Amino acid sequence: MSGPLAGLRVLERCGLMGQYAGKLLADMGADVVKVEPPEGSEARQVGPFVDDVPGPNRSLNFWYFNTNKRSVVLDFTEEGDRATWLALARAADIVVDDGRPGELEKLGLGYGAAGEGNPGLIWCAVTGFGQDGPWAQYATADLVSLALGGPMMMNGYDPEDAPGAPPIRGHGDQAYLTGCHYAVQGVLAALLWRDRTGEGQFIDCSVHEAVSSTTEVALPYWFTKRVDVVRQTGRHAAASRTERWLYRAGDGRWALIFGVGRDNASWKRIKEWFQSEGFGLQFDEERFDDPLNRQAGRGSAEAAEISAELERFIAAHPAEAVYRGGQERRQAWGVVRSPEENLADPHWSDRGFWAAAEGEGREGRPVRMPGAPYRFSATPWELRRPAPKLGEHTAEVLAEWLGRET
Amino acid sequence: MQKESYRLSGEARGGYNPPAMTELPLAGIRVCDLTWVIAGPTATRILADFGAEVIRVEHGQAADPIRFGRPIAGEKPTLNNSGFFNYFNRNKKSVLLNVRHPLGMEVLHRLIRVSDVVIENFSSGVLESWGLDYAAQRAINPGVIYCSISGFGHTGRDRHFTTWGPTAQALSGLTLMSGLPGKPPAGWGYSYLDHTAGYYAAIAVMMALHHRNVTGEGQAIDIAQVETGMVLTGPAVLDYEVNGRSWLREEMPPGNRAWEPRTAPHNTYRCAGEDRWVAIAVRNDAEWEAMRRAMGEPGWAAEAKFATNAGRLEHEDELDAGIEAWTRERDAYDVMAVLQAAGVPAGVCQTAGDRVERDPQLRARGWWTTMPHAELGESGFDGVAPRLHRTPGTNRTPSPLMGEHTYEVMTGTLGMTPEEYAELEGLGVFM
Repeated sequence: MSGPLAGLRVLERCGLMGQYAGKLLADMGADVVKVEPPEGSEARQVGPFVDDVPGPNRSLNFWYFNTNKRSVVLDFTEEGDRATWLALARAADIVVDDGRPGELEKLGLGYGAAGEGNPGLIWCAVTGFGQDGPWAQYATADLVSLALGGPMMMNGYDPEDAPGAPPIRGHGDQAYLTGCHYAVQGVLAALLWRDRTGEGQFIDCSVHEAVSSTTEVALPYWFTKRVDVVRQTGRHAAASRTERWLYRAGDGRWALIFGVGRDNASWKRIKEWFQSEGFGLQFDEERFDDPLNRQAGRGSAEAAEISAELERFIAAHPAEAVYRGGQERRQAWGVVRSPEENLADPHWSDRGFWAAAEGEGREGRPVRMPGAPYRFSATPWELRRPAPKLGEHTAEVLAEWLGRET
Repeated sequence: MQKESYRLSGEARGGYNPPAMTELPLAGIRVCDLTWVIAGPTATRILADFGAEVIRVEHGQAADPIRFGRPIAGEKPTLNNSGFFNYFNRNKKSVLLNVRHPLGMEVLHRLIRVSDVVIENFSSGVLESWGLDYAAQRAINPGVIYCSISGFGHTGRDRHFTTWGPTAQALSGLTLMSGLPGKPPAGWGYSYLDHTAGYYAAIAVMMALHHRNVTGEGQAIDIAQVETGMVLTGPAVLDYEVNGRSWLREEMPPGNRAWEPRTAPHNTYRCAGEDRWVAIAVRNDAEWEAMRRAMGEPGWAAEAKFATNAGRLEHEDELDAGIEAWTRERDAYDVMAVLQAAGVPAGVCQTAGDRVERDPQLRARGWWTTMPHAELGESGFDGVAPRLHRTPGTNRTPSPLMGEHTYEVMTGTLGMTPEEYAELEGLGVFM
């Protein structure tokens, strides 16, 4: 094992909400043991499934969010298994649990009991709303956390695009993933404290607070101006309406245009590109030379003409060509891709981004999935093992961590 | 808003003044912070919250554009009156340094020599052009942890391409995964990936610090902002790799309805008032039964076709219309309370104003605070999300004024004599 967390033992008891925290630790070298009930983690019931055939080892959600972990099955209705859980927690450096507040404490299986024999233990509780407060026992779902935390009221449509449209949720369990980003920050800060002092501690990580801290300009606007920003189609929510960023390309796809020739050097590059294909022939006129005249949002005739030519130009090209052509001329333009379209972009392969794993139904035929979010020069991200089959490592882990022979 | 009553004197503002008698988990870690805009400052905000000494290196000739970023107090930007900048730069110090001056670059080398971490989010290649790639940094400070955030990373054929948050969101797939079917992408109404790239950078730096504690070894970390979005789309990529399905197909994205697991009801519903909405996510038949009772058992909901998840999915339009007929005359918070009392996941679509002024959970948890700022007055802040019980992160100082700590850092941290400082200042090094 080569990651920066090699040698650390992590016990994870998580479903959809907390499982990504375990993956982030496991992918960087920690020995993460996932404790599951006999029927398996709830994520094993979540599709899509391999060939659309459900089964505990066929969930692609589970495949992705549980790489590099080992699976141990424990039945908390059995006294022996409850004792095993406590023994594992006392042998662990870190526990990550996403149960309701107090749920494990009531069973005598929480931080209080586990920390007694293990003062260095770091215990991270990932919950919807935190350990206390009037909503502590409320139920959540990713959609609900994105609503309460603020992102949804910033995502949506201009009225002319979709009259009466609701605030919109970005998919992919992003509230849970954000909660896990914060959970791991907490675990690592606690780990650095432990490196110095040997002391462990309890971490209370609320998804609601994590998401609420992930809304960029919304809170500053409220704090400073007592103004709520308003959602717009495919661009930043703002205090007042702004220019569009999305343009429909010739192939029906969307290009994201983030500024056009803001400075004179980049304007020259854009102008030459457009004119080489017969667009924007009027751009040579002097009135386009002043960057202020070209700025969208200032209401000048020149800005409106540039926008109209841009629309015509983009409508005559495929979106990918607009993206690459803009970037080659130092414009931070983009194309609205579907996630899998990046598989065909050689830049990511150059970087060795994709990981590949086998699993039930794909034995001997590894499939690609996203790999490292960061490249470490000395202790790299590594896919050491695919997501575990249910209970695959029960005996192995009990022998290694507890010295139990079966 | 709850206010903390402590006030910081001008002298104390550069120092550490934790409001509670706790120690900070990253105390003693020094960060040479070359970041700007949002992604980098997000990373160093986290490190600073946990007690690292974060020294922002700023440039009068090329100021961080967020120092001009709206919202601002007053009419004109002053470099020090941006609420946007204030939010992302609490707990940090600021020094002015002219790195285009050879002596300014020399001072930067001295700062790197005494720092644990160097972090930047310029386009790839910029630090190399300063003569400060990882090899050069290591020659100055063998144990240094160097973290870079760029759009496309330091390797690969398109490494010279650049991003803002929305560019990265579009490329990664996240923009497409947000919207109503048949409509343009709604995407993200803010730079979600500026936050997220910053989160990965903070995580990476802390992992590297742990590794250094164990082995003494530093290292370089290369983060591509687009990749920090791509890793958030794993199941969608696998659905294509394994099953050949793309999010470009008809009926996708599914708006606020569920993708996987496919359950219903799962949507946003209009409530009383202007632009008020509640999100409801029923996960199983038992929760639906609880919701049906909480709604007062309307006749339509008792129909057999709604009794199972499969039936509810098949009749989803009718289901959603029936629910909205119930919610639209009601206050969104009342709907949430009634459903949560029945154990059904439900939540108001809250604005920032709702969160600060109305959300009882955040208030009860002491989430909001203010700190006095020279130009913004009592400026608002949120708390530190992962709450470490023994060594919590804290709010200690608002964002630094431009160059507020130049003298302190030069004469304190770098040990310059007042004479040396004055000489360099006269040569235009601190501007």
